[in-house]
Amino acid sequence: MTLIILWLIQDLLTVFTGGAMQIPSLFMLGLVYRLLIDDSNDEGVNLWGIWSAFAGGVLWDLRWIGIPGFFTLGYVVVVLAVIQVWGIIPPQGRSSGTGLIVFILMEISQLIPPLLPVLILGGSAGWRFFLMQQVYSLPAILFCIYIYNRKVRNRK
Amino acid sequence: MDNTRNTTREWVHGLIALILGLFLLGISSGMGVMKSIVDLWGSILSIPEYPAVIMREMFIEWRSWSRDKNTLNDEVRRLRNENAKLRLDLAKFNSEKIYESSDNEIRTARVTLRAPMSWWSEIRIDRGEQDKITQGLPVFSNGYLIGRVSSVSLMSSWAELITSPSFMIPAVIEETRELGVVAGDGNGSVLLRYIPAGRGIKTGMKVSTAMIGEQVPPGLPIGQISGEFAAGVDGYTTYRIEPGADMSRFYTVSY
Repeated sequence: MTLIILWLIQDLLTVFTGGAMQIPSLFMLGLVYRLLIDDSNDEGVNLWGIWSAFAGGVLWDLRWIGIPGFFTLGYVVVVLAVIQVWGIIPPQGRSSGTGLIVFILMEISQLIPPLLPVLILGGSAGWRFFLMQQVYSLPAILFCIYIYNRKVRNRK
Repeated sequence: MDNTRNTTREWVHGLIALILGLFLLGISSGMGVMKSIVDLWGSILSIPEYPAVIMREMFIEWRSWSRDKNTLNDEVRRLRNENAKLRLDLAKFNSEKIYESSDNEIRTARVTLRAPMSWWSEIRIDRGEQDKITQGLPVFSNGYLIGRVSSVSLMSSWAELITSPSFMIPAVIEETRELGVVAGDGNGSVLLRYIPAGRGIKTGMKVSTAMIGEQVPPGLPIGQISGEFAAGVDGYTTYRIEPGADMSRFYTVSY
């Protein structure tokens, strides 16, 4: 439900700005955050993450690109990367000293999905929008890291 | 063992999702049905997106209103400047007309009375209404302003002199463009009042009538600064003016 709301907020913000600026991928931030705070090591959560990313990407492509696949591929690649990197760290070691890794994984969620359309379609305007999106997404990433750290501290 | 199986399943699911994504990317560009799906999805989303659309329109309207307001302010400023320039041009045009008419019709009048009791205040001249004398008309001697007509009768007129204490006329120091008021003191002196202190006014600077006068045209010579008379505590200085005309000795005047 949270992911649906985040997807809608991302969509509404994009409508509001009318394409004048790139909105951070709140949906992917929420998804990655959900995967990172899960310490159950349950396979079902990861599979849910893969297919949620796929569904969210297809819907985003249908709404804003017109050709499904661009963001879908990016979203799935990000989730696979997060699952693999996070899987290397044992659950006991995930609670502390992982701030940098969490930041990198969340940054990847903002970096890869919009990068694919730019790489495929090209154009200087696309690169400009991509860079602006990275700037706008930084506060959202920092906010996610903040609530992640708070959650980890409370868990202790 | 379980962990390895889990990882393998995740990879399988991930790869299936990627292949599906690539498949969609490959086939959808050439499919007409995709357009219908995109349209359908767009129309479904138009319901939750409605508030954002309204807010966006409001924002655009507000921005446009703000931009229009700035444009209108700029326009008003430009028109004000233009208006001021036109006023100035009109004043210049009027004064040139006055000069032209005065150049064409410089006439002289004889001083018929200068009473000892009002020696520095007024004179009577032998020209009146029938000679086209009007109230407020400047009167000259030796090319310098000495006063203006204060009352007119059919065949004679009275002119108030610049040495009269009730005579006041806006004037300008030509070298510095400082504005002040020329007034007499009733004892033969002419003063230039209300000049802000510390403006570098020097002896010998020329004084003439200013454009802000109502009846007297600008640029009529009055005399020159002959020294400081008094420095007021209010930040203004009064200067003494040496009239260009000999105020003690004139038998005829021009107008």
